[in-house]
Amino acid sequence: MAPEPALRLRGITKRYGTVVACDGVDLTLERGEIHGLLGENGAGKSTLMRILLGLETQDSGAIDRDGRTVTIAGPRQAAALGISMVHQHFSLVDPLTVWENVELGRSGPVRRAAARAGVLAAAERYGLAIDPDARVGTLSAGQRQRVELLKCLRRDPAVLILDEPTSVLTQAESAELFTVLRRVVAAEHRAVVLISHKLAEITTVTDRVTVMRAGRVVLRRDTAATTEAELAREMVGREVTLGAAVGVLPRAGAGAAPAASAEAALRLRGLTARPGLDDLNLTVRAGEIVGLYGAEGNGQKSLGDILSGLTVPDAGTVEVAGAPVDLRRAGALSAAGLGIVPEDRHHAGVVLDLSVAQNLVMTRLGDVSGRVFVDRRRLRRRARALADEYGITAASLDTPLRHLSGLGCWSPPSPPAASTWAPSRTCTHACAAARTTAWPCC
Amino acid sequence: MSAVAVDLETILSSGIRLAAPLAFAACGEYIAERAGTLNVSVEAMMLSAAFGSIAVADLTGSATAGLLAGVLLGVLVGAAHGALSHRWQVNTFVVGLVLNALVLGLTSYLITVGDPGRHQVAQLSVPGLRDLPVLGAPLFVERWPVYLLIALVPLAWWLVERSRWGLELRAVGENPEAADMTGIRVNLRRRQALLWCGALAGLGGAHLAVGEVGSFNQNMTAGRGYLVIAAVIFGGWRLGRTLAGCALFGLADALRLALPALGHTVNSQLLISAPYLLALLAMLMFTTRQRRPGALAQPFGRAP
Repeated sequence: MAPEPALRLRGITKRYGTVVACDGVDLTLERGEIHGLLGENGAGKSTLMRILLGLETQDSGAIDRDGRTVTIAGPRQAAALGISMVHQHFSLVDPLTVWENVELGRSGPVRRAAARAGVLAAAERYGLAIDPDARVGTLSAGQRQRVELLKCLRRDPAVLILDEPTSVLTQAESAELFTVLRRVVAAEHRAVVLISHKLAEITTVTDRVTVMRAGRVVLRRDTAATTEAELAREMVGREVTLGAAVGVLPRAGAGAAPAASAEAALRLRGLTARPGLDDLNLTVRAGEIVGLYGAEGNGQKSLGDILSGLTVPDAGTVEVAGAPVDLRRAGALSAAGLGIVPEDRHHAGVVLDLSVAQNLVMTRLGDVSGRVFVDRRRLRRRARALADEYGITAASLDTPLRHLSGLGCWSPPSPPAASTWAPSRTCTHACAAARTTAWPCC
Repeated sequence: MSAVAVDLETILSSGIRLAAPLAFAACGEYIAERAGTLNVSVEAMMLSAAFGSIAVADLTGSATAGLLAGVLLGVLVGAAHGALSHRWQVNTFVVGLVLNALVLGLTSYLITVGDPGRHQVAQLSVPGLRDLPVLGAPLFVERWPVYLLIALVPLAWWLVERSRWGLELRAVGENPEAADMTGIRVNLRRRQALLWCGALAGLGGAHLAVGEVGSFNQNMTAGRGYLVIAAVIFGGWRLGRTLAGCALFGLADALRLALPALGHTVNSQLLISAPYLLALLAMLMFTTRQRRPGALAQPFGRAP
């Protein structure tokens, strides 16, 4: 008889009100293989994993761990059952050091020297170089991912779940991560779940793949027996061009985009700020998209902060449509017509406790208010118009943004003169082609 | 000894006596705030313990029993605060202020019902050292509970900075969501921190009554709990600096008491407000927001 799978999910169903997040999902995770879980935002992947971690309880269905049916009441119990997850939004504590964070996932007395040595040994074994004494808050996204992974692996999990692990990583870092995962699977015989919507990753890294759509499993295959085209079709639910599905967007300007004009919409002169910005000059003309390329930590964050009005640069000026902007005044950039989609939208882009409608009009309150009062009717009308224009799907515009699942945490500014976008956390290019979900989100 | 040295010794003595109750409570408040719970009810803990210690001392005839009763009453207030704000999710400020008002009212009433006599724990002086000039009397002739600080301060520090419990506590105070994901019971840790805070603040309040003063009067703590909160903020949530803040407030208080005796005439009502003014000034000058626990005073519940 074949050994029992590390984890078997049978008929997992979870409803939120009328929305069925998971609909009779069966999933079998074998030891020693990487299992790809593919699906668009809102397909039910995250809900399924939250159930596995005990953050949610399924309405019906059962979970078998090594053949024994278990109930998972919370993260602590999930850990005791050997289920560990590398989170999409990190579960690290910034002010603590690396070794303290890794130690958090363990038990027994804290012995500093032993804990540090343990981190170093694990880092060595998996090839994840890290300084155990560094404060996590000072690390780059890639380094934080390493810490997160080390923290999980130090718990010696039988089942390791990675939720969109590469959304914050560079190509090289992603490659490194997958090398580590291979080692974890081959040498240590763990079961790994890789949640992703990047088809290239799924096809190159995984052994088997499960595709989810609208809460259901729509495809289950050995990865070798499938193609990116088939996966893309199953994920979206109809034929899509492969280019769009694997994340190659149609060439800018190929359509009816207006030609770039001679006029500079945004001009940065001699922008200098800590950390990383040294005399940056940049011109963006109306009608063109300018990409800034570089590994993380080379001033992108400083630039984003300046253009968001969060920091005032040490030197340099910002001109929007030819007019210099007083960077010390709050809202000056927005008033001048600069829209910004911040890198980390949960922290900087939206107010999660305000409603969808309030978030939509937030950047241009002047449009919906008089001198003193906000005109609620105008606010709703404006929000409705924006929601329709950008295809934002929410049960109600009065829903607090916090309650939106994954979708649409993206506050479209009023048509801006120029807009910047840090795309490292955007996702679901397939849905940009399919238009089933509104805007890419974290 | 010169007159200046005598004055200095007097001020230093009373400064340390006034700072000691603050120091006990500050150790507790430091633990609580590192867990992310801004414990406003530290005033209630101190005041109920001050009353309880005198009452129990009167009943049993033992000041030490009174001291223990004070600790228990502090724990009781801590348990109430913890259950209300970290089990039933009532706003922590509201809970704190209501508890403070409740205890003030209750003790003011109860002290008029019974009429406890004077009770004070024994004085302990360290032979040899007590004869040192200037510092000898202030540091080495004290009511004995003061010497508990020698053990309790390192204990509080070790608990927070070195134990696993403290590591989890700090994680809870900085980022409760991450702690929860890791499998730490956030609200349980916060309730436990409040119990520690209650015990230590209770000891502080009891020490004020049966240690330093020997009796209880209405609103005896007179806002000392708030000074303790100020000290923790002033100390940037680090124990050493927090205790330095307590010493500073204690000395300011001592100066207020000593000035008239030294022949300076200052409006006494104005002087009473001096430590609080000083607390404001000190916080204005030395507070750094950087060290503030990331989730201080933010309730935790799992997102739906």
